Formats: sequence, structure tokens, C-alpha cells
Amino acid sequence: MSSINQIPVINTKRGNPLSKVFDELVRFCRSRSLFILHYCTGCGAIELPPAMTSRFDMERLGIQPMVSPRQADILLITGYVSIKTLKRVILTYEQMGSPKYVIGICSCTVNGGMYWQSYATAKKLDEYMPVDLYIAGCMPRPEAVIAGLQQLMDRIHSGEANSWEDYFRNYDYYLGNQQKLFGDNWQTPTDILTEAKHYNLMGEGTFGEHTRLLEQHQKPLEALDMRLGNNLKEPTE
Amino acid sequence: MSQEIAHWLDNLLEEIEGIEIRRKSSRRVRVDVPADALPALLELLQGRAGYIHLSAISCVDWIDDEEFELVYHVWSYENHSLVSAHIRIAREPGVYLSVYDLYQPAAFFERDIHEMYGIHFEGSPNMDKFILTEWDGPPPMLKEFDSEAYINEHLSWQEYNPPWLQALIAEGGGVVIPPEEQRFSRKKS
Repeated sequence: MSSINQIPVINTKRGNPLSKVFDELVRFCRSRSLFILHYCTGCGAIELPPAMTSRFDMERLGIQPMVSPRQADILLITGYVSIKTLKRVILTYEQMGSPKYVIGICSCTVNGGMYWQSYATAKKLDEYMPVDLYIAGCMPRPEAVIAGLQQLMDRIHSGEANSWEDYFRNYDYYLGNQQKLFGDNWQTPTDILTEAKHYNLMGEGTFGEHTRLLEQHQKPLEALDMRLGNNLKEPTE
Repeated sequence: MSQEIAHWLDNLLEEIEGIEIRRKSSRRVRVDVPADALPALLELLQGRAGYIHLSAISCVDWIDDEEFELVYHVWSYENHSLVSAHIRIAREPGVYLSVYDLYQPAAFFERDIHEMYGIHFEGSPNMDKFILTEWDGPPPMLKEFDSEAYINEHLSWQEYNPPWLQALIAEGGGVVIPPEEQRFSRKKS
């Protein structure tokens, strides 16, 4: 009697010969339809209106501004990120739907720029979230912003721009840096660990000492109370 | 016209004792007063001279003299002139009176100074955190707060030295002041 292990199994991941063509098509379409989130942190944001509007016109490349994180593909960090802002940036980043890309514009996102000595400015953005691309300059001109976005489009098309997976696979590293800055009680309203399990994006760095610390005090997420008039109640002292 | 007002203002200010007046220009006066005479001065300026707008309260930390300097800038819409009243208070315990009852915008300025320098203003309506709501360190504008030591402890640093910049420096251009000379903690003494 032959063991079940002896039965030859041809392990083909994708049976469809057209799958590669299809993936190529998906990546092409994805790189041609990018929505930038309007979250302008610092002074570099002033270069975006000319880049978006008629003179430099990002829309001819298929890049448009978008107002909500749930519908956006790109998070542009335009300038210095103060530690208060960084919390909000992380919340925003975690709410964006995958695949998502982060571009750090200006010198400040690289190493603090002219705020290198400031107690209130985060220095390295890529410690707290994976950054696909940096556009250095103080501030970079719209041409530079568009050149950077084109580089990102090429990388999406070729399939290299998958740093968003890194946030799930190395969540312990990012969470550790966030806890170092915001304290051990830091918890975001997005449960990254459950998402990583759900989307099968677990890596060796997903769990670690910092995620264990998070799980100790993590409060389960609850649905928002949507009743009308709930906010109209008098605050009780 | 403005000469006339200036003369009239100088006469008015002479009513307070122990006061030093330095006229910077026809529209700008610097007044140095003892700390306990400031509320009387502001009341006089507001009530009798039309200085109804408190533009700002600024603070200077003179750590070697162990004193804080507070500067009250009041503006008159009628005379189009600014009076800056300077006072010095002791650095310890760093307590002073609020001028909220004279100028209501003082609440914001005093709250800001309390947050940045730790000075407590007696009678100010709110001394809570203002901008640095998530900050639990010492008041960061004090001279004794070492910002660089703080960032070395809490934040990491990365060099940005790309090849194109190295090529520029090799040609004699690029960075004017290298980090070794700019950064106090890295100074080679």
C-alpha cells in the first residue's frame, strides 16, 4: 500500500496561463489611477496646488487628490511631522485600504531638516511607517514632485512598490518605535494584528515583544454608537 | 500731530514712580517698570490713553540673572502707537499676577507662557495645556531644557549624504557649515 506522501502532486500556484497577463494588466491599471490623500502636514503642501492644477497638471498622469483615507492610494507626507501630527498620520495610514503607498516630501521627513534640533518633530518617518519614496528638497518644486510620482508609478507597474506589506510583516518594529515615542499605552483604533492574520500577511516580525505589550492592555474595538442625539446629552461631572 | 501725542504720553507716564521711559521712535515707547506697578500702568494706559489692544505678552528667560522678563505690548488705535512695558520677575517661584481683568486676550498669552516657561499667573482663568497637549516633559522654552539631549534620547537620526551632494562638496560647493561645526553635541573641541 502506497503512502499518501508518495502520490505525486504537481503544486501549481496559478493554474490559469493567463494569470500573469492578468496581473500585469492589474498593475498597469493600478499605476494609472492614483488618488492622493489630502493630508498636508507641513510647508511642502504649498507645492501641491500648482502640481495638481492647470500648470503642471498631475491629472494627465492619472493622479488626483482625494479627501478621505479610505478611498486614497497615496499618503503624501508634505513636510515636518510633529509628534502630535505623527499620531494622526499613523491613524490615517492604518485606515487606508491596501495597496497603499507613502511618499515623504521635503527634507524634514528624511531627517528632520531644519527642525533637526526640535523636541517636537519626528526625525525619521520610515521608523513609524514604511515609506516607498522620498523626495528631498526644501521644498521640492512641482516638477520634482511629479518626477517622484512617475517613479512610483513605474515601481507599481513593475511590482516593486509593496512596502505596505512590510507594515504587516514587520509590525513589531514599527509598533516598537511608536511605543518609544508615544508611551507604552499606545493603541490605534485599527487592529493591525488581526488584519495581518486575516489577509495572510504574517511575517517573522509581525509578533514580538512590542505586540505582546500591546496585547496586554489592548481594548477590544467596539462599533460606534450611532444613535441620534447621543452627543446632545449634558456632560455629567 | 504724533509729536504732540508723544509729548502728552510722556507726561502721562511720569505720573507713575520708578518708571524708565525710552522712546524708540515716534510710535514706539519702551517702558521699564517694577513688577508691582505694571497693573497700575496698564490700567492707566487703557483707561486714559486709549491703549485698548493687548497685542502680545512675550517672555524672555534670563537664566544667569535668575529672572524672567515679561513684555506687555499694548497698541492704541487712536494714537497709532505701541507701548512695550517690560518687567522682571524672579525665576523662582515664577509667579505673577494675571492681567485678565484688564485685557481678556491675556488669557491665551498667559496660558501659552505658562506652558512654555512654567510661569504661573494668579487669577488667570485657565492654566491648562494649550498647544503641547501631549507633552509631559519640562517647559520646553526654558534655557535649562536641553533640546538636543532630549532628541538624542528619544529620536534617532539619519544622515542624508547622497552621491550628488558628495560630488558638489568635492568641487568646493554644497554644505556651507558642516554638521560637526553646527551641532553642539558633535563639536570637536
